[in-house]
Amino acid sequence: MAVLTPDEWEVLFLSLRVALASVALSLPTAVAMGWLLARHEFRGKLLVDGLCHLPLVLPPVVTGYVLLLIFGRHGWLGPLLDALGLRLAFDWKGAVLASAVVAFPLSLRAVRLAIEEIDPRLEGVARTLGAGPWRVFFTITLRLAAPGLWVGAMLAFARSLGEFGATITFVGNISGQTRTIPAAVYTFLNQPGGEAAALRLVWVSIAVSLAALLGSEWAARRSRHRARTT
Amino acid sequence: MLSLRLQRQLADFRLDVDVVCHKAVTAILGPSGAGKTTLLNLVAGLRRPDAGHVELDGHVLFCAEHGIDRPPERRRLGFVFQDDLLFPHLSVAANLRYGYDRLRPAERRFEPGQIIDLLEMGSLLNRRPQHLSGGERQRVALGRALLSSPRMLLMDEPLASLDQGLKSRIIPYLRHVRSDLGIPILYVSHSVAEILELTRQVLVLSDGAVLAQGDFFDVARDSRVLPLLDEHGFENVLLVEIIAGGDGACTARCGEQTLRIPPCHRPPGTRLFVGVRADDIILARRRPEGLSVRNALCGTVTEVSSAGPTRLVTVDVGQPLVAKVTPEAVEELELTAGEQAWCLMKTHSLRLGPESD
Repeated sequence: MAVLTPDEWEVLFLSLRVALASVALSLPTAVAMGWLLARHEFRGKLLVDGLCHLPLVLPPVVTGYVLLLIFGRHGWLGPLLDALGLRLAFDWKGAVLASAVVAFPLSLRAVRLAIEEIDPRLEGVARTLGAGPWRVFFTITLRLAAPGLWVGAMLAFARSLGEFGATITFVGNISGQTRTIPAAVYTFLNQPGGEAAALRLVWVSIAVSLAALLGSEWAARRSRHRARTT
Repeated sequence: MLSLRLQRQLADFRLDVDVVCHKAVTAILGPSGAGKTTLLNLVAGLRRPDAGHVELDGHVLFCAEHGIDRPPERRRLGFVFQDDLLFPHLSVAANLRYGYDRLRPAERRFEPGQIIDLLEMGSLLNRRPQHLSGGERQRVALGRALLSSPRMLLMDEPLASLDQGLKSRIIPYLRHVRSDLGIPILYVSHSVAEILELTRQVLVLSDGAVLAQGDFFDVARDSRVLPLLDEHGFENVLLVEIIAGGDGACTARCGEQTLRIPPCHRPPGTRLFVGVRADDIILARRRPEGLSVRNALCGTVTEVSSAGPTRLVTVDVGQPLVAKVTPEAVEELELTAGEQAWCLMKTHSLRLGPESD
């Protein structure tokens, strides 16, 4: 594997930045939503659950188009975003949003399962010991769900790294702005003589994904281990 | 003093309770499904009653009329569950301090060292809950609840998952809590023996309602009560005093009569609880001869109640003793209230319980 060209380094760093920001955006949302779905009964829960999982079953291109309809320049929220001075469509921040939306159901599932596995009576006993609901959430629920959070973060990261359809529909394929690894590989493959560059990015992609997978597995094991042993 | 007036409707079950508990330890007895655990959860604030009023020593914890519903963290009630529910991600020391650290210094009634000594947990502090035995875990759970300086302890079958040996080791700790720390206890159990080693003040729940309340042996005269308690096999508890030890067995005094009990290595004069299951007692109208059974306590029949296909005969031998026999036996021996009967018990069917104060 040859050393990357400056353009390819840029693609790699942009991909990492988008994927990390996507995790930062989707994981807390998944934690809040996972807790809501795991611990509460409310009207329309099934519908909320279904909506949360929609990006998992929709073709990513459709998700991207829906995002464009909502957040695009002329979208429903366009004027509001304009007023806030926030530009999402055809901008790297939009790539983050697209990745986060697509990755959200995956991290939600992991987080929700982890929270559902915790005996709610542990939270009850913490309440009787004088801890308010927030403290219980942070000192008991989140701590015990930590392995699931790591798994959720990894899934979201890997999914974001591989995000293509929603991203290219919503924010396009602009070099230095929204051209992440999948978009770059796609571009190189469409250029005469681009196979070598595409192959280098394929290797990079495999290496990053594998590292993320192993890293999160290690972290999940560590937090599980910490929860079970001295 | 705990006054409870609570109503709660669950899917196919209704809890409706109106009682006042004055005593240091009140035991809640009842068959499974009677609503014992639900009641404790309502008192602790972990579940919300539909209506009612809960007041502990002048503090209103819940009042539907005035819209008062103190959250569990403000009720200052220590809850100990059947399975200890220690926090698995924290060490024993951190578990113990979880409630303690939430208190303002002025609210702290005990220091960790004091409770650690009382419950003999010094060697456990750095361990994780996963590495403790069942009895140790339950002690830590009790210590954790105590260190939150509760106004009252709610205990939901805290010993049910422990074997008999461990139970008799934990009960003295509970007696310490009752007498040395002065914390009232609401104690749920289905084991009469366990309860009698702690208190005689009981509240019998059945189908979500209070069936009887008061001294156990008064309550047990109610012919509806004893059969309920027979669900898990009724075990009597006798208070005896050791007279002499010996290699094979000890001799103990039970009122005016004597009992041969299993070897117990305790000095004469020790007062001890001895358990004997209602199934293990044989009734006779005359003192039999030529039997290997060592013990025959003479008494007067006070009550015969039916529990399904069997009969529970209460005999006053100085202390009430319940024997489980067949209806035919009751008929043939003409066992009715006022008649004399002998209760026969093998030495080795007697269980040594904890010492009494």
